[in-house]
Amino acid sequence: MTDTDDILRVNDLSTRFFTEQGQVNAVDELELRIERGEVFGIVGESGSGKSVTARSVIDLIDAPGEIIDGEIWFDDAELAETVREDAPDAVDGSFVDLLSVSPAVRQSLRGTSFSMIFQDPESSFNPSLTVGEQLAEAVEVQRRASANPRSTKAKTDSAEYSFGNLLLSTVLPSQQFVTEESRERAIELLELVGIPDPVERADEYPHEYSGGMLQRAMIAQALAGEPDVLIADEPTTALDVTIQAQILDLLDDLQTETGMTILLITHNLGVVARMCDRVGVMYAGEIVERGTLEDVFDDHVHPYTEGLLGSIPELGGANGQLEPIGGNVPSLLDHEMEDRCHFADRCPMAMEDCLDHPPEFDAAGSEAHTVRCVLATQSYTEREALPPNYFGDTERPAGDKHAEPAHSDGEQPAERTRTTISDSGGESR
Amino acid sequence: MIPDRLESNLRQGFRESLLPKLGLVLLASILIMAIFAPVLATHNPTRTGYLDENGNSYPPLGTSYTTEIGQDGEFVEVEVESTSDHLLGTNDIGQDVFSRLVYGARTSMLVGLLGTGLAVLIGVPFGLVSGYYGGRVDDVMMRIADTMLAFPSLVLALALIGVFGSAGFGIPDPLTRFGLIDGMPESTTLPGTVTVVVALVTWVWFARVARGEAMSVRNEEYVTAARSMGASNWTILFKHVLPNSLTPVIVLATIQVAAVILLESSLSFLGFSGTTLSWGYDISRGQGYQRTSWWISMVPGLGIVFAVIAVNLLGDWLRDALDPNIEGEGGGA
Amino acid sequence: MSIGKFLVKRLLQGVLVIWGVITIMFALRAVSPGDPANLIVGPAADPEIRDQVREQYGLNEPIYVQYVDYVQGMITGDFGYSFQSSREVTAMVLERVPATLELAIAATIIAIVIAVPLGVISASRRNEPADYGATLFSLLGISTPNFWLGLMLILLFAVFLQDPMETYLGFTFPQGRRPVGFGEAVMTLVTTGYAGDLLTWVRHIMLPAITLGTYFTAMITRLTRSGMIDEFGKPYVTATEAKGIPYVLIRYKHVLRNTMIPIITVLGLQLGTLIGGAVITETVFNWPGLGDRLIQALNARDWPLMQGIIVFIALGFVLINIAVDALYATLDPRVTNE
Ligand code: SF4
Repeated sequence: MTDTDDILRVNDLSTRFFTEQGQVNAVDELELRIERGEVFGIVGESGSGKSVTARSVIDLIDAPGEIIDGEIWFDDAELAETVREDAPDAVDGSFVDLLSVSPAVRQSLRGTSFSMIFQDPESSFNPSLTVGEQLAEAVEVQRRASANPRSTKAKTDSAEYSFGNLLLSTVLPSQQFVTEESRERAIELLELVGIPDPVERADEYPHEYSGGMLQRAMIAQALAGEPDVLIADEPTTALDVTIQAQILDLLDDLQTETGMTILLITHNLGVVARMCDRVGVMYAGEIVERGTLEDVFDDHVHPYTEGLLGSIPELGGANGQLEPIGGNVPSLLDHEMEDRCHFADRCPMAMEDCLDHPPEFDAAGSEAHTVRCVLATQSYTEREALPPNYFGDTERPAGDKHAEPAHSDGEQPAERTRTTISDSGGESR
Repeated sequence: MIPDRLESNLRQGFRESLLPKLGLVLLASILIMAIFAPVLATHNPTRTGYLDENGNSYPPLGTSYTTEIGQDGEFVEVEVESTSDHLLGTNDIGQDVFSRLVYGARTSMLVGLLGTGLAVLIGVPFGLVSGYYGGRVDDVMMRIADTMLAFPSLVLALALIGVFGSAGFGIPDPLTRFGLIDGMPESTTLPGTVTVVVALVTWVWFARVARGEAMSVRNEEYVTAARSMGASNWTILFKHVLPNSLTPVIVLATIQVAAVILLESSLSFLGFSGTTLSWGYDISRGQGYQRTSWWISMVPGLGIVFAVIAVNLLGDWLRDALDPNIEGEGGGA
Repeated sequence: MSIGKFLVKRLLQGVLVIWGVITIMFALRAVSPGDPANLIVGPAADPEIRDQVREQYGLNEPIYVQYVDYVQGMITGDFGYSFQSSREVTAMVLERVPATLELAIAATIIAIVIAVPLGVISASRRNEPADYGATLFSLLGISTPNFWLGLMLILLFAVFLQDPMETYLGFTFPQGRRPVGFGEAVMTLVTTGYAGDLLTWVRHIMLPAITLGTYFTAMITRLTRSGMIDEFGKPYVTATEAKGIPYVLIRYKHVLRNTMIPIITVLGLQLGTLIGGAVITETVFNWPGLGDRLIQALNARDWPLMQGIIVFIALGFVLINIAVDALYATLDPRVTNE
């Protein structure tokens, strides 16, 4: 391993979704390195696999999705010590491969090592519990973990979670799993993220909060376990323009204060420019260009990055779907993916060499700058250009986003494929 | 009428699960039983007296039972054997249980389909008007609906039958009328009052669904556009609002057929029906005989269970594919 | 809207509904063919006696006077006199209420106790044998007419289990009285420590309660299963997972709780089915409750008694639904705040 202070090294990560239409390669042999204390951004359109990448890291991939291959090395000496006995192969120095440890260990890392904030705060809170209660719950996770460090048993098999108690918790205002201290800590956290009157607001329900306030509360909730890595999945997309900047400021301040690492998922290059140290541009399940902020903004090579930058919205500008480049959203269906540059069908500079899947080439700029495009090694020549319509007119309308079935940005998760009458009302006219 | 997307959902549901197929097969068999009853029945279902020499009912094929017969004041135990003539045995007055099972399907299906159809005809216009006009009209109409809901449907049905009596009228059976089959009843009795009554006690559920749909499209652009083009309210209701509400109504109707079949059988079990050729009635016949002649009530009951399962399976399939959020009344009676 | 206001509104709606029920019942009687006097004294009676009866029951008054009288009576709790037995309808109804109430509550308890765990198991082990079993059970449960189920249970106990009839079956309840009600049995247990009465009560109510409860068990199982599956698909579940909450806690504290909230309303609406089911269950088991009496009244065309029972049932339905709404409003914070 190199001597950079990496906190997370992702090797060869492949996450697949096994759907009706076929196998979807949402994330394909992805490599990722994130340094301790940095803000790493992953940017891309809907369906590029950026959300799935984030969820793979924190282990929130639900059926029909599955991480089928790869390693996620996480630097945590203490964890490495405990895991070493049971699974020596999963440990390398102070690094632990999260995909080789038991599910219980992985589960125990949520909240305390990794934590996540989501795009839509309104649907990310349980509507029938108070915000304070839900925060206190998260605090409790941390409390239990530190009471009995790294023992996963302490968190899952506690005698308090007896069947009877659990049943009661469905009926009674659920007090029994949360202590007074956790409640107080929850109020502190609300105060920390700048919610006025935190004592009163803690007793309110999510629907009584505004979107921005609720996003603050969600950040507070994510901080409850004092995580090493915070994953922010489109944290501002659902918010008003003016609120967006406030939330980013808040994240920025908190990051400076706690020194935590942030993995920021966004489609908005404005947000990236504002927040990140390094960036990866994702397309069709791969990182097609990566490097420092300067590399990507000033020295970019990939035409896709170019396209994204060409349509960069002002921060606080257009908040809609980012459709920077003409053409179709890529299909991630295994049987439709060819072994070529996945962007070739939309690329204005596609050439014959692009029909071979390009590896990651080093590019000018910083050491970390790589790009998955033949333009890194040769320049565009008219002579080798593919004829227009080379890929035929297989129109795949941009609305057809089976590309990233689970949790594409702003879309329903794939499980909810059932159509409701109100959805389809328009069609029966 | 059913949009493409829903159609593909339907197909998918049908392909992926065994249950809709099972439902379809069951329902088809029961419908065939109902339609071709005169062909399938082995005996005239109303003819009595198929008893053994001691006046005992025959048990179903392959079974036997012991009963006591008084002779000269003394009781002797006799074993009653089944006969291949009566597949499912005979009842207390010696009617062929199998033939009655077959004919019972007619009553169940007739009342189930006609009763539900009538309920749709009452409930859907009611709900559409209520939801489309909204405001005070809606308030009044919904209070009427609430009032109907405050009656348990079986109780209201009983009250209505208490008032109007339970009349039935005969529908001629072409198979026997034209002499194609001999020795079967020439007509089938449709329990008319019961059919009307089940519609009167179940229409509210359709009204609720139709109202919801009408409310959801009332302010849609295409309705406003039609209105601004001078279309009358009735035109809008029938041309735009009604088609939109059809899908959920179809789903609900399927579910309600099950409820209506159960309701009809309950009414005839209690003796409030216009016909005696009914599963519910046959179950009540066996009520005093469970200890010996268990088949008398068991067989028609299985008929009901299978019919209702068939309809429920289809209903679930439609509901899952078309609209997961419909509530109807249970038929739990 | 405060919860108080919300309840007042529901209460007013309830009053309207009850008035509607009373009016419909009155209208039904008014259009009912046949002279009610015949029902009281028989068609062969002396015309003079008949007139006397008509006078006594107010049958000679113009219809609107009868209506006003009738509504007035209902408001003051005076449901009139039974045609058949000349007893006060109110008393005849009230004496039958405990038996029906006990039956309905026992059935509901059985249903909830069995169905909720079954639904939870079914939802959390989707497409495993346990789920298939529960699904099959609920399909059968909602498709079986309960009068038939009752008879089959009797068959099972009497014939196949060789149960001496006395243990669970064959109670005749002379004069429509059960040997012991729940209240009395509990009193006996508390005052004398004798548990035999309570056992008798349990034996008596067991089969009817299972018969009545099966449909609801099946229905609640289905609702719990599909409700939980829907709920599990919601984003907040993922968010809760992300903050490290153990799976068991998510399942019960979050998902099951949120699933039960809408189920409560559905149950309120299905109360009619429960009451209808009780009527017919009571007939099968000779259970001396309201339903049993209703069937008697219908067979005898005893209008006042029938009306009394039906209005009473409707009243119960409305009150319980208001209670359900109130419960819903306290459980779901969004209702009263909208
Ligand atoms: S590899 Fe070729 S097709 Fe792909 S982005 Fe580069 S130039 Fe375009």
